[in-house]
Amino acid sequence: MPLTMKLAFRNLFRNTRRSVLTIMLIGFSLAALILTDAVMRGMLTLMVENVTGTISGEAQVHRVGYREDFDVDLFIENSAEVAKALEQDRAVDHYTSRVISGGMISSSYNVTGGMFYGVDADREQHISKVKLALIHGQYLTGKRGELLLGQSMAELLEVELGDRIVITLSEVLTGEMTQALFRVSGILEFGMRELDENVVFLNIDEARKVLGLTQDQSHEFAIKFVDPALAKNPDTAIFKKLNDAKLETMGWLDLNTQIALMIEMSGFASLIVGMVLFLLASLGVINSMFMSIYERIYEFGVIKAIGTRPASLSRLILCEALLLAIISCIFGMLLGYGIGSWTAVNGIPMGEIEFEGIAISNNILTEFNRVQFIQFPFYVTLLTIAAAIYPARFAARIIPTEALQRSL
Amino acid sequence: MTAVTTNTPADTTATPVITTREVCRYFGDDEETMVKAVDRISIDIEPGEFTAIIGPSGSGKTTLLHMIGGLDNPTSGVVELSGTNIAQMSGAELSDFRRDHIGFIFQSYNLIPVLSAEENIEYIMLLQGVSAAERKQRVNQMLEQVGLAGLGGRRPNKLSGGQQQRVAIARAMASHPDIILADEPTANLDSKTGIALLDVMRELNEEHNMTFVFSTHDEKIMARASRLIHIQDGQVEKDETK
Repeated sequence: MPLTMKLAFRNLFRNTRRSVLTIMLIGFSLAALILTDAVMRGMLTLMVENVTGTISGEAQVHRVGYREDFDVDLFIENSAEVAKALEQDRAVDHYTSRVISGGMISSSYNVTGGMFYGVDADREQHISKVKLALIHGQYLTGKRGELLLGQSMAELLEVELGDRIVITLSEVLTGEMTQALFRVSGILEFGMRELDENVVFLNIDEARKVLGLTQDQSHEFAIKFVDPALAKNPDTAIFKKLNDAKLETMGWLDLNTQIALMIEMSGFASLIVGMVLFLLASLGVINSMFMSIYERIYEFGVIKAIGTRPASLSRLILCEALLLAIISCIFGMLLGYGIGSWTAVNGIPMGEIEFEGIAISNNILTEFNRVQFIQFPFYVTLLTIAAAIYPARFAARIIPTEALQRSL
Repeated sequence: MTAVTTNTPADTTATPVITTREVCRYFGDDEETMVKAVDRISIDIEPGEFTAIIGPSGSGKTTLLHMIGGLDNPTSGVVELSGTNIAQMSGAELSDFRRDHIGFIFQSYNLIPVLSAEENIEYIMLLQGVSAAERKQRVNQMLEQVGLAGLGGRRPNKLSGGQQQRVAIARAMASHPDIILADEPTANLDSKTGIALLDVMRELNEEHNMTFVFSTHDEKIMARASRLIHIQDGQVEKDETK
């Protein structure tokens, strides 16, 4: 082992208590950064699952301009062709078509406004959580007059399973008001206020009939890919194939700009958390190094007097910082991995929080990533060494005669 | 015994290993409060001399040794070691010069506490780039010469004061310097150990013809020096060769 490293290693444990405290300070900071990032990643995964798995799917096809005002007149005219293209694309795992319209919904006791989703019962269960959200009654079977609505809407309308519901919509082409009678066949609970209070689900054929649409007309196709990452790539084949002057296909990131913004912000948040943590840790390193230097100032005077160059003395201090960083990183990574492994299985209970209408009610499962165990320790090591530069320069500038005056 | 009077270099035909000419070291800028630690000292020390700089506390012994050792720069005057004017050297050049030409022995031993006796002796040779085999050979030789054979693996805190100072002597000599400067090397030792240590230094001086310059105010120690330079108030009061 080179002398400088040997000296640095032994010096590091001359004051074990101080070194251990500094190692804990840096190690805890690294562990905190790893866990913060792991929680952020877990939360984003949960949010993305909620965003894509609840209703929207990983991508959607609409008529160009539909999403601006959700204008029912802007429907997809050639649903069969779109369905065929989706069917043929091997990257597409599942897809479903929908008709969507706003309208009034009345019970014997109350009336409220809402969104009506006409869905293909079989295909829908592979895309959204409608079937999973069922808490009473039964899922859509394709029979006439079936309707699913959220628990909150059911309470507002004071209806139970089997009760009659009248929906009032305007026909797509004529704009004429039209009414239809349904019976509550199931009650849903998504855990999302917007869905539980405002949305009802009907069989797509009946919905088309009420709206005056043909079998080939839909407002939306929702898609689930074999590889979810394809939804984020604008060059995905199906996007290019379907997009034309009339149709637009978008992944969930484009459909949910707030979530996209939050994902972008989460990286920034990690950066800020990291900077604050390491500013504190750096101050700790500087303090620890200075205390160590002040304790040995006379010794440094002697070392310089017998012929050690200032640069060699700087190198010694930087080596001590490097060793401190390496030991701290090992400690921090083990701690972060230990805690993160437990929370990756058991989760962090967050209660029920809602962000941009997306409910996060499950425990957040922390997620590890190689960045946490390669880049973060690398930055920590770099910062620790950077924090030691000032003390190292100070040590290099020690004047032997002044240092030696303590006992001479 | 010859007595040479103040502030004049010894008259000799050999090339001095240490030469100071009108060396001054003043502290402070204000004329009234200025301390003249060393004031116009001119001395020549020949190779192989065993010289003691003596004088009361505050007389300027340590300051003079520091300037001779290149640890401090004179306010004015010239310090030459083996014909080289060290005042003109840069910091790194001075470090290298000290490493290769000067051995230091300090009052408080000042070994590196985290290194063993062997490693302390080896340290300066590592700085010099001496090969591992030669380092080992020199370490063993030095430990034997200072009477510490078998104790090389001990760290300073496991050695007595006298033993630590012997290690310091071995460290100073291991680099094969031209000059060894010792600032009150026996001050922290009892009288018996101090004299024994001086005997070791004297033996090494005679054996290797190495120049020793040390400061002291202990009369028993002075008795073993071959030359005594008396300093009072920063000036050479008397320079006597036995």
